[in-house]
Amino acid sequence: MKNRRHMLTLGTAFALGALGLPALAQQPTYKIGYQLPLTGNTAQYGIDFKNSAEIALDQFAKAGKPFKVEIVFEDSRSDTKEGVAIARKFVDDKAIVGVLGDFTSGVSIASAQIYKEAGMPQLSQTASHPDYTKVSEWQFRNITTQAQEGPLNAEWLYASGYRKVAVIAEQTDWGQTVVSNFVDKFKALGGQVVFSEFFNRGLADFRPIITKIARDKPDAIYTGYFYEDGAQFLKQMKQLSVTIPVHSTSASYNQQLITLAGADAEGMKLTATFLPNNPAKNVQDFVAAWKAKTGQAEPGQFPAQAYDAVNIMLAALERAHPNVTRKSLRDQLAATKNFPGVTGDTTFDADREPAKKLVRAQVKNGAFVAVEK
Amino acid sequence: MDYYLQQLVIGLSLGMVYALVAIGFTLIFGVLNVVNFAHGEIYTIGAFAGLLIFVTFAPPLVVVLLIVLAVGALTGVGLERFAFKPFRRFSDEATLKSRAMREATLMSSLALSIVAREGIELFFGSQFQALPLSHMLNSPIKIGPVTIVDGDLIIFGTSFLMLAGLQFVLKYTSVGLSIRAVSNNPLGARYVGINTDRTIAWTFAVGSGMGAVAGLLVGLYYGAIFPAMGFTPGIKAFVAMVMGGLSSIPGAVICALIIGISEALSSIFVSSVWQDLVAYAFLIITLIFFPRGIFGGARERV
Amino acid sequence: MNASDTTPRRWLWTGLILTALFVLVPLLLSLAGRSYFYQIANTIMIFALLAASMHLVTGVAGLLQLGHAAFYGIGGYGAALLATHFKLSFVFTIPLAGLMAALIAFLVAVPTMRLVSIYFAVATLGIGQMLHVITLNWVPVTKGPNGILLFGGMKLFDIDFSKPVPAYYLVAVIVAACVYVIHRLSHSYYGNALRALREDDQCADAMGINTPRLKLESFTVSGFFAGVAGALWAHTAGYISPADFNFNVSILILSMVVLGGLGSLPGAILGAIILIGLPEVLREFKAGDFRNIIIGIVLFGVILFQPRGLIGEVSALDFIRNQLGLGRKTKTDGKQMRVGWL
Repeated sequence: MKNRRHMLTLGTAFALGALGLPALAQQPTYKIGYQLPLTGNTAQYGIDFKNSAEIALDQFAKAGKPFKVEIVFEDSRSDTKEGVAIARKFVDDKAIVGVLGDFTSGVSIASAQIYKEAGMPQLSQTASHPDYTKVSEWQFRNITTQAQEGPLNAEWLYASGYRKVAVIAEQTDWGQTVVSNFVDKFKALGGQVVFSEFFNRGLADFRPIITKIARDKPDAIYTGYFYEDGAQFLKQMKQLSVTIPVHSTSASYNQQLITLAGADAEGMKLTATFLPNNPAKNVQDFVAAWKAKTGQAEPGQFPAQAYDAVNIMLAALERAHPNVTRKSLRDQLAATKNFPGVTGDTTFDADREPAKKLVRAQVKNGAFVAVEK
Repeated sequence: MDYYLQQLVIGLSLGMVYALVAIGFTLIFGVLNVVNFAHGEIYTIGAFAGLLIFVTFAPPLVVVLLIVLAVGALTGVGLERFAFKPFRRFSDEATLKSRAMREATLMSSLALSIVAREGIELFFGSQFQALPLSHMLNSPIKIGPVTIVDGDLIIFGTSFLMLAGLQFVLKYTSVGLSIRAVSNNPLGARYVGINTDRTIAWTFAVGSGMGAVAGLLVGLYYGAIFPAMGFTPGIKAFVAMVMGGLSSIPGAVICALIIGISEALSSIFVSSVWQDLVAYAFLIITLIFFPRGIFGGARERV
Repeated sequence: MNASDTTPRRWLWTGLILTALFVLVPLLLSLAGRSYFYQIANTIMIFALLAASMHLVTGVAGLLQLGHAAFYGIGGYGAALLATHFKLSFVFTIPLAGLMAALIAFLVAVPTMRLVSIYFAVATLGIGQMLHVITLNWVPVTKGPNGILLFGGMKLFDIDFSKPVPAYYLVAVIVAACVYVIHRLSHSYYGNALRALREDDQCADAMGINTPRLKLESFTVSGFFAGVAGALWAHTAGYISPADFNFNVSILILSMVVLGGLGSLPGAILGAIILIGLPEVLREFKAGDFRNIIIGIVLFGVILFQPRGLIGEVSALDFIRNQLGLGRKTKTDGKQMRVGWL
């Protein structure tokens, strides 16, 4: 009987103590919304972003910061209808001070209309449509647009001695910017674009296009595709024994490209903001954490973008703490300068576009390596 | 000249792929007069089943083909049981021939195709899956100025085998006889003692088995498979069938070749993004101007 | 049949629905205080209009349409292009977009009217896909995959209609008006003629009903309303791209009509509420992954087990008849008999 009473008092004391502890801790928790496609036909990208975000969050929690951060993930399926519903949901939640996402420019822009009206900072890791940052001052992106990448590639191809180039890209808003930015600069340098065409993403058979390209006998081919179409293209180039050098953009940078294409990917050149064999510490830590979490050999460009986006947001939160509101977060995001991301140092300019460096790379012996200048 | 020849050859191989799918599809439609919207999904299931088999056992290609054939046949029978049989519970002539029933079966097979596709996506993920590189059927072979792939020859051989085999079965076996009877007059066939349910199940088994094998071969040919891969071949098979005169399998094959060649040749003049338009344009033109199909012999008005 | 004793009943029902739409729902939504609900309500209403337009062509006239999203898209693109190139206010773009969609629907219907049931269905599928390919690739006009961004917002009489509450009222008024028109069309002599078309067009022809003209008209009218829905979406979302109007959307609309019951307008609207609202509810339970598969299963289940849908046409007509007390005459033995055309 006595024991029972002792246990009871002890238990109550513990409970009261446990209740009291959080009050003592007083760590505020900030919430960030993340809209991304976790299902549907772009799910593979969204799941990559979620993994990157969780890695970043893990590292943040272990770093002993004066506040906690929670990320609320919502599945947009890359569908505008869902995207705007999620945007409204985030806007309603007073605890959410910033939003990451979405994957496609279309959904990002539609959601941006809502974030603009409600006043919520939005940082997209991959939206590359030129109009995205023009919607309002609340929109940010940390991916280099083709406005930067296209001219760089044009210079590279011109410097490699190519004067006649064929250009193909997927028929999406991104693909359109790939072609226009590259072609403008290449022509300005004095080169000649002998062939230019778009293809539907998911095209299984590139052989008619390849045959057309081969007929025009260009010195090189500049391509705007993601890794799935890229693998098909490279395989079929080999089939048709077309040996014209292939250049591509940072969007092709994904280990899956090599897995799908095998030896046929050898020799493809591309620009990249992220190379996993970069010896910098933050890159190596990220690569190791990625391997541990997903079991994949290396992360691609897009997961690296997401990782950086999350960290940029966290860094802005840190600068805004303890007066974190949506407005103050937006201002701190805009003030991001030389943020040391794994995809390069990031600074947001007056239009909230990132200024980053791109490296030249190529596929050698089944891996992506930097090209010596 | 070489350029046009090469495009023509590419078109032929594209057409062969469509023909593979069209054979099974036309068999089912020709016999039962029902549009099987889920045929494209059986094609996908065949490809993914092949992937699973390669990854777990890695047997030689012929064994995989046979297993996939069986898987496809079983899936087809199951599909028939779920999506088509329940609508045959009324056996009077008026109901069997009614428009409402045809539309109901179209929608039920469409619904099942959605379920199947989403199921595959949930299970495998929506990205491209690579089939083992060692088994892929695309080592190039140069014949004069044009290059083809060994996969082309295999697909050609398989279509030929399927076509010949089907003609043999239809003409010289009792199952084939009952299939022809049911396709001619289902009620009459039942009156003379043919087990219509079983015959229909056999038709589905054969047609779906072929569809699944088609999926596997095409997967190996292009080297990558994904859950939505069945949609476009399904539509093109339907177009080929309508063009070919609705119940003629050789007609469907020839029209599939025509579609493939037209797509490749069209890319000479316009960008490849307009390629799909070719098949749809053929569909509309055939439906409106050639209601009996290009090769005639339709059984009903379109 | 006495018109006077049906009028009070009819006004009661109309009044109830209008009150619910314009007073109750906004009240509940503002109490909950979340703009998220307004967004869902807007989407539901736009899709209810789409489902209603499809109900007219598929449910009542019996023309199975697998490419309806194309007209939705033409409406959306029409409104967006008019707003961005000609700076027209939404007051003009919405009806104009509807007319554009109706025109294209007319052009599509003329050559395909001869086709029967499943061939017509596949023809509409093909045409829907063709329109999608054209929107995606005709970059000079539609800006292709870049989509069209509407910067203007919606302002009229100093009210900013881009805010959630005014937008809700705008959409509610337009959708209610359109649904009312569709209701009057389908519950009338005209609607009966369309139903005769659905049951057996050769018979209807023999009875003197001008079959081709009716088919053409119902197709065009349904295209008009789909276009209006598209214009509403373009203005409220502020950005459209070809991906918003693909084959999956056509299937979604078809599922709504089938779920609710072919031929039943309340059913179509109920179908829209369920198929948009349910996935949002499931989102709370993180069951979002299964949304599409549930749509497929639901569609299959309904076709197989309850082909009449949730509120089948017959039940809907009975319900309306009973409530509005229309067309009943008491016979000499005291039993009720239905008369008249409703």
